[in-house]
Amino acid sequence: MKVDTSLPARKYKLYATWKRDMETMHLPFPREWSHTQFNLPPNWKEVALKKMDEVVNKFRSVKLFLDICVKCGACTDKCPFFLGTLDPNNMPVARQDLFRSVYKRYFTLTGKIFKGFVGAEELTEETVELWYTYFYQCSQCRRCSVFCPYGIDTAEIMIAGREVLTAIGLSPRSLTEAIAKCETVGNHMGIPPAALLSAVQFAEEEIKEETGIDVKVPINKKGAEILYVPPSADFFGGPHWGTLKGAIKMFHLIGLDYTISTYASEGGNFGTWLGYEHMKKINRKLVEEAKRLGVKWILGGECGHMWRVIHAFMDTMNGPIDFLEEPVSPITGTKFEHAASTKMVHICEFTADLIKHGKLKLNPDANNQYVVTYHDSCNPARVVGLIEEPRYILRHVCKNYVELDPNINREKTICCCAGGGLLADETIELRLKAVRPKLEAIKRTGANFLACICAIDKAAFTEYFDHYKLPITVGGVHELVGNALVFD
Amino acid sequence: MDPLIFFIGYITPYIAFFTLILGLIYRVVRWLSIPIPVRFPVAPAPVTYTGVLKRMSLDFFAFRSLLKGNKKLWIGGYVFHVALAITLVSHIINVYFHELWEVIGYGWYEAVLYSGIFFLAALFFLLVRRILLPNVRYISKLSDYIILVLLISIVFLGVYMRSFGLVDMASVSEYMYSLLRFNPIPPPNNIWFLTHYVLAQILFIYVPFSKISHLIGWILSTTRNMRNITRWKRHVNPWDYPVEVITWEEYYRKFKDELDSIGPDGERR
Repeated sequence: MKVDTSLPARKYKLYATWKRDMETMHLPFPREWSHTQFNLPPNWKEVALKKMDEVVNKFRSVKLFLDICVKCGACTDKCPFFLGTLDPNNMPVARQDLFRSVYKRYFTLTGKIFKGFVGAEELTEETVELWYTYFYQCSQCRRCSVFCPYGIDTAEIMIAGREVLTAIGLSPRSLTEAIAKCETVGNHMGIPPAALLSAVQFAEEEIKEETGIDVKVPINKKGAEILYVPPSADFFGGPHWGTLKGAIKMFHLIGLDYTISTYASEGGNFGTWLGYEHMKKINRKLVEEAKRLGVKWILGGECGHMWRVIHAFMDTMNGPIDFLEEPVSPITGTKFEHAASTKMVHICEFTADLIKHGKLKLNPDANNQYVVTYHDSCNPARVVGLIEEPRYILRHVCKNYVELDPNINREKTICCCAGGGLLADETIELRLKAVRPKLEAIKRTGANFLACICAIDKAAFTEYFDHYKLPITVGGVHELVGNALVFD
Repeated sequence: MDPLIFFIGYITPYIAFFTLILGLIYRVVRWLSIPIPVRFPVAPAPVTYTGVLKRMSLDFFAFRSLLKGNKKLWIGGYVFHVALAITLVSHIINVYFHELWEVIGYGWYEAVLYSGIFFLAALFFLLVRRILLPNVRYISKLSDYIILVLLISIVFLGVYMRSFGLVDMASVSEYMYSLLRFNPIPPPNNIWFLTHYVLAQILFIYVPFSKISHLIGWILSTTRNMRNITRWKRHVNPWDYPVEVITWEEYYRKFKDELDSIGPDGERR
């Protein structure tokens, strides 16, 4: 595998957080700075090393992974950002080494004694610049971990690295802008309650025009059985719009007693990419809202990082969630035992169960204009769980369904390359390079509809297809469900 | 006695042995002392302990994850590790239980020599690969080469001694037994053996401080050894802490007009 040691990807840096957002979020060292001019605080080195000591002693995985990597190189050609740029620092192991070399220098005996001989390096402003650049060229998709003989997960080291960067006042606008909005307005897109209402009303009108059916979406309804939390992009339009409508139609048809919330109108969680605290904060609002509304359980929409948080972190961070009930589908009576503790179910699990019990009347011919293929988002696929359900649904709602190349499918999927905070205009060139193998694979299938269950996928792939002028529509699995639903 | 021989025959063997054992124990205890705040396995993760055992066994016995990722490296790495295991076991038999070969069969005793040759070949493959492949060269530090050179030297000396019968096995065995009894006799005064022996001691000391600690560390890998039951059984983070979020009341005050336009208390039924 060739590498380009001129570090061609070093020029791609996410823009700096606004000072006002740093203040809103109570981030350390609020100040004016930019991606080229960090204006680090005078004691940055001390703060960084202290934070580093803290993270390696808080996460067993991080210390273990830093210690046991043997530099075998099996991960090197697995990262789409390396394949796309040939920048050696985008090889997962080299990305980790940016962090590992400093860890060795200050926290290991061999590193303190033998220094460069074992790859230990001083922490300098240049290191920090490399950290800010390359830690934010990782979408934390965990593809490398699948192939690592010890399961070393770059994502976890990046989470730790970003904690350290945040501690010295370096975090990108692409994350903090959304997080600040979520924590103050209610969602990443910054949609206030009235705008959310009009979006919902607009969807209702469109459904009326298309099907002749009167649909009413309950908002902030106390005592509803289920709280439905889609990613806020669904209210915004674009490739997400069909998903919102599909879900609303389906809920109406099965007579589901649900509500959406304006306060907790964000299924997604950009905090995930910044660090533990803000992930917990954003997720906390879902739990608080479920409690206030008195619902029985929570249903999550089509969102990738929502899946990561609800499946892996929610119960740990904001549990025990014992004021809710173990999720039971009111339509089929199915107990979602696997979500017994977290009390939150993903809409694909819910819909697949409806189909399995024959509770949805579907006409797959309604999607005959499409040849559909499914993109496994990194989070649902590799944070273990949602691989079969979306496929099960798709096979029931459309007739022309094709699978992608097995080398980049299922747990081996190449992601949309826009997660982890990379969905920003300034990274488009980088992302277009990284996502190339995936786009080629999609083209090879001959599909004209790319179904996915992640709001970031939908936004990113639409951008990519526009750029390459590919006649492929991007949409949610539930958009196709919505099309196939039969109204009597 | 030559002070150097005294040193490497009487003192450093104990230092090397105890550094290896105690160092690895310290390493594992240190890892275990750090909490696992979240349950975060990587797909395809099983939900049962049996499933985890199966997954870990396949990774241990067949290097399955590596096989998925890099076939050439898999062959090199697999031959290296199997030859290493054979070498370690046959050393113990040779030195301490030589009579066992009568039970196992001297044919096997001969075969071990060939495993040594495979061992060397695999090590050369790993070294050449590290030097020639640009991506692997980029991630290699000096210590990554040195460890391979050290292993190659040890194995080469071993194979060489064995092939030409340069060392009297019985005297090595006698010396090794004396070490076990903490009453050492002088080591065989044989330059081939002594060099092989000293290099092996250096390796022993190096193991716990280096990446070679992966020989135990992989068992603790949280992406591999955890069950996929996160939503079903709560995983507790010992250092979790409460966070403040905007309350509904604060939110309501902030967007009162808008929420009231939706309905009383922001409710639309």
